[in-house]
Amino acid sequence: MSSRLRGRPLVRTSYAQDMALLNTPAKRRSTIAIVIASFLVPFLVTDDLLLVLTLGMISAVGAIGLNLVTGYAGQVSLGHAFFIGLGAYTGAVLGGDPDAAVTGYGLPIYVWLPAAGIVAAVAGLLVGPIAVRLRGLYLAIVTLGLVFLGDHIFREARDLTGGPGVGRRGPDLVVFGIDMGESGVVLGLDLAREQRQFLMALVFLIVFAVLARNIARSGVGRAFSAIRDRDVAAAVIGVDLTRYKVMAFAMSSFFAGVTGALYYAVVGVFEPSAFGLLLSVQYLAMILIGGVATISGAIMGAIFISSLGRISGEIAHVLPFISESSGTDGLLSVFQLEAILYGVLIIVFLIFEPRGLFGIWTRIRNYWKGWPFSY
Amino acid sequence: MTDFFQALVNGFGQGSIYALLALGYVMIYKATRVISFAQPALMVVGGLFSYHFTSELGLNFWVGMVLGIVCGALVGMLVERIALRPMLGKPVFTLAIITIGVDIVLRIVSNRYIGVQSRIIEYPGGNERFSIGDVSISHQRLGLIAVTAVTVAALALFFQYSRTGLAMRATALDQETALAQGIRVGAVFALAWAIAGGLAAIAGTFVATGNAGIEQTSWIIALKALPAIIIGGLDSVQGAVVGGLAVGIVEALTATFQPDVAPWLGANFALVAPYALMFVVLLVRPYGLFGTREVERV
Amino acid sequence: MKLNRHLVRTSVVIAATALVLTGCRSSSSDEDSGAGPGISDEACPDAVNPDNGCISLGVISDLTKGPFAPLAVPITDAQKAFWKKVNEDGGVGGYDIDIASNIADAEYNPEIHNRKYQEMRKDILALGQTLGSSQTLAILEDMKDDDVLGLPASWNSAWEFEDQILESGANYCFEAMNGVDWAVANRGVTGKVIAVGYPGDYGGDAAAGVEAAAKANDLEFEKIETPTGQDNQAGAVAAILKAKPDLVVVTTGPAEMATIVGGTAAQGFTGTFVGSSPTWNPALLKSPAAPALEALFFQAGPWGPFGTDTPGHEAMRTALGDVTPNDGYTAGWTWSYPLLAALKKADEDGGITRESLVAAASELTEVDYEGILPPEAGATQGDPADVAYRSSVISKVDPAAPTGVSIEQDLTTGPTAEAYDFSKPCFSLQ
Repeated sequence: MSSRLRGRPLVRTSYAQDMALLNTPAKRRSTIAIVIASFLVPFLVTDDLLLVLTLGMISAVGAIGLNLVTGYAGQVSLGHAFFIGLGAYTGAVLGGDPDAAVTGYGLPIYVWLPAAGIVAAVAGLLVGPIAVRLRGLYLAIVTLGLVFLGDHIFREARDLTGGPGVGRRGPDLVVFGIDMGESGVVLGLDLAREQRQFLMALVFLIVFAVLARNIARSGVGRAFSAIRDRDVAAAVIGVDLTRYKVMAFAMSSFFAGVTGALYYAVVGVFEPSAFGLLLSVQYLAMILIGGVATISGAIMGAIFISSLGRISGEIAHVLPFISESSGTDGLLSVFQLEAILYGVLIIVFLIFEPRGLFGIWTRIRNYWKGWPFSY
Repeated sequence: MTDFFQALVNGFGQGSIYALLALGYVMIYKATRVISFAQPALMVVGGLFSYHFTSELGLNFWVGMVLGIVCGALVGMLVERIALRPMLGKPVFTLAIITIGVDIVLRIVSNRYIGVQSRIIEYPGGNERFSIGDVSISHQRLGLIAVTAVTVAALALFFQYSRTGLAMRATALDQETALAQGIRVGAVFALAWAIAGGLAAIAGTFVATGNAGIEQTSWIIALKALPAIIIGGLDSVQGAVVGGLAVGIVEALTATFQPDVAPWLGANFALVAPYALMFVVLLVRPYGLFGTREVERV
Repeated sequence: MKLNRHLVRTSVVIAATALVLTGCRSSSSDEDSGAGPGISDEACPDAVNPDNGCISLGVISDLTKGPFAPLAVPITDAQKAFWKKVNEDGGVGGYDIDIASNIADAEYNPEIHNRKYQEMRKDILALGQTLGSSQTLAILEDMKDDDVLGLPASWNSAWEFEDQILESGANYCFEAMNGVDWAVANRGVTGKVIAVGYPGDYGGDAAAGVEAAAKANDLEFEKIETPTGQDNQAGAVAAILKAKPDLVVVTTGPAEMATIVGGTAAQGFTGTFVGSSPTWNPALLKSPAAPALEALFFQAGPWGPFGTDTPGHEAMRTALGDVTPNDGYTAGWTWSYPLLAALKKADEDGGITRESLVAAASELTEVDYEGILPPEAGATQGDPADVAYRSSVISKVDPAAPTGVSIEQDLTTGPTAEAYDFSKPCFSLQ
């Protein structure tokens, strides 16, 4: 029997209360506020910025998946790009235009989206046993080998992928009869294409974030954390290493698969070189900058890294000593500066806040918890 | 049969470049336990320094290469001091991402120097080739193999017989004890990065003497050394050399024979062949051919 | 350190707020005063003719990290010089043309290409350059919705069939046919021809041309795909040495081409190499493969190289000033002529808008290339089979020339290209 004491919100009288998803009133209120604010964003922000945020939110699901395997379970995986690619091509083949030059079956979203996740998860199941045998950097570079293997497969399977340099279209985005690729009036509101996609991505993110949070706070999540901290000790107390490591890979690959399918449905045209080392590194950077082993950290990191291109572009145009020309005069062209800023911002961030954005958030939160007695 | 030997010889030459780069990765890993993804940039930067000294300033090739090595080593030390020293003790993957950031920055700056042309160094031997029967090798590749052999031997002697080498080996074994014995661990880190920078500069110089020179996309060559270090074992110097040569030879053999022998693997399977070899080696020896087995204690 | 932390935090907050504010949706539509998007009656920033209005052109290219950055930077610079000269000559229809304000770097990535287009789509009249086939395809639907004309930075045969895209110069398909025909006539090629190229549309277009020419000249044909990377050419080299052809048509980048030519020649190969236009770089003269290149390599191109003596080339050299000669400049300069012609035609036809520009672009009967190409080369009105330009220039390696190549055979249409039934693209992009 649980009951809440009035005026004493942090006293918990049952296990369910303690383990609840939102177990303090502050969390409950702030979550509701953030969700409401997010639903209002499409009406306040320009379309091109909405596209950036939409893509950021979809990658957040992928980042959450990588966090499950690397942050929670401690298995470093550089192969995330491979699973994203598998999911993207599964979705594109199942959901794509049947009349195009590449294979497509024109199936609806409730078939291709789960199928993308499942195909990627099966691949993750196959990769999992490797993780049992290898550890640390050996595992990381072997998963990198997966990315190169995948690159080879995607480049050779021309009927499915269109081949390098040409690529193919992603699946058509039609959810509950509403076409996300069009602009117009829906449910009484005049929504542009970017606004519709933003709202769809927001719902997608909420569903998968809650799913991941529930995994993390369940027995499976605790087993993952035990494996990360000291897997020998975990084995001693009865955590089946093989089973949980394989499960971690499968789950993270499922998330990666659905991310890939939806991401490239929004982007439109994509080609095999998109799924290389750089994509894996980007996702790793997302969880490191966001904060390892936290779901909200992964989301914050994903949105940050996705906006980084835009941010460095804005900064580069403002700095005075950079010539506007793309040519050889000036110390650096503005585009090279943009590319350098991308690297510099990541470095600076990691040097000054190695616990990532979530660490910054924790510091802000603790400051205000103790206010006016913070120090 | 001549095809086979020619492929072997070509693979040995290309493998020497991978071996030099793999040595650099292993140096840094042994000293600091970090995989540095900045080697591609160091290779390009070192090669460009050599190019500048030989082709722009007109110095002799060997003098220019030595100066390029010194500059490459300095750049390596600078990177370590600025980007990595403040981050000692942080998780390993954070440091790896920082080296990726450094790689991006250095590469963009060198692309500025490279511009629209490839940067090619003229090797003093010209285009002569030595032949035994139908198998030939260019003077330039022979020079590369010779320089690699000398470098590896010099490094081995350095580690075995000099005090600094002993200090580096001690630090690689256990940093805290080494500190307690009075070894300046910070100087060891800087030296490891300097050696890696110098090795990458040698590799970059020989890439610049090739048919295509150094251009804006040449950095990808250095990524092929990653399977080499896994095959050899992350913390083994002889493993790096063996791994690099193995990758070069396997790549050359696959490129020559795979389209006839196993076309179902797809075109250009040679790109993936080093990783396939890596998988096979790891199935048998999970720590690479020469890597030390990690002992896990609770 | 404490002060540093506060400073860092405050500046981060200010930057974040500024970013958020720039992203706010404005309730008023941000149309410029003028005939439509991309064209305004106000003068351009840093205008040459302050009394003229302003037409904005966009450029989405690969300027830093992608594989074509070394070529794309001179292409973009030449285009900037071209439109600056047009402004100095008075502009078009009372408008100056501004290309420098809307240059974006897409890093050869279709996703970033799309994103950059979304950022600029309301501000531009047309795209002065869009680099990459899958990249352009990613925005083609939006370009059609917006009625935005685009100039591609490539010579794919598929663009002839796309009204939204305004290309110049013989495409890779015809270029390869002309190269093979020339080699058969001048280099005694009789047995086998191999097409070595990148997988995808660039290599595939040329390979289709080589196949057609091989059939017409009664030659054996083989196609080899090779990846990018100077260290990945061992397979191509081995295949060439095994097959021993008389002619190899190369459609890669300069580094790969030099590796293939140098590698095969070093082992005794003496066949002829004909490279597509983007396979040459002047710096290769210093490579160990240079003697082999001088003896065996010929470049097939859409027009004469940088140092050619025509009024157009001269105008380009004057406008660019003191730069390292590179045929990227020639390409960027020449590609811009049809857009100028289309702008002038749209102006004569009743005013420049996006729609009128797209209409004018598909109704051109001739374009003034200032001697670089004949005027009928730019004709777009009619069936692609009738108007597509089919002539190429064959150049040989010449250490004395500014870009290392000089013309061996001026613009000629070979018999295969002349007779080819061009009813669909040689290599389909969709």
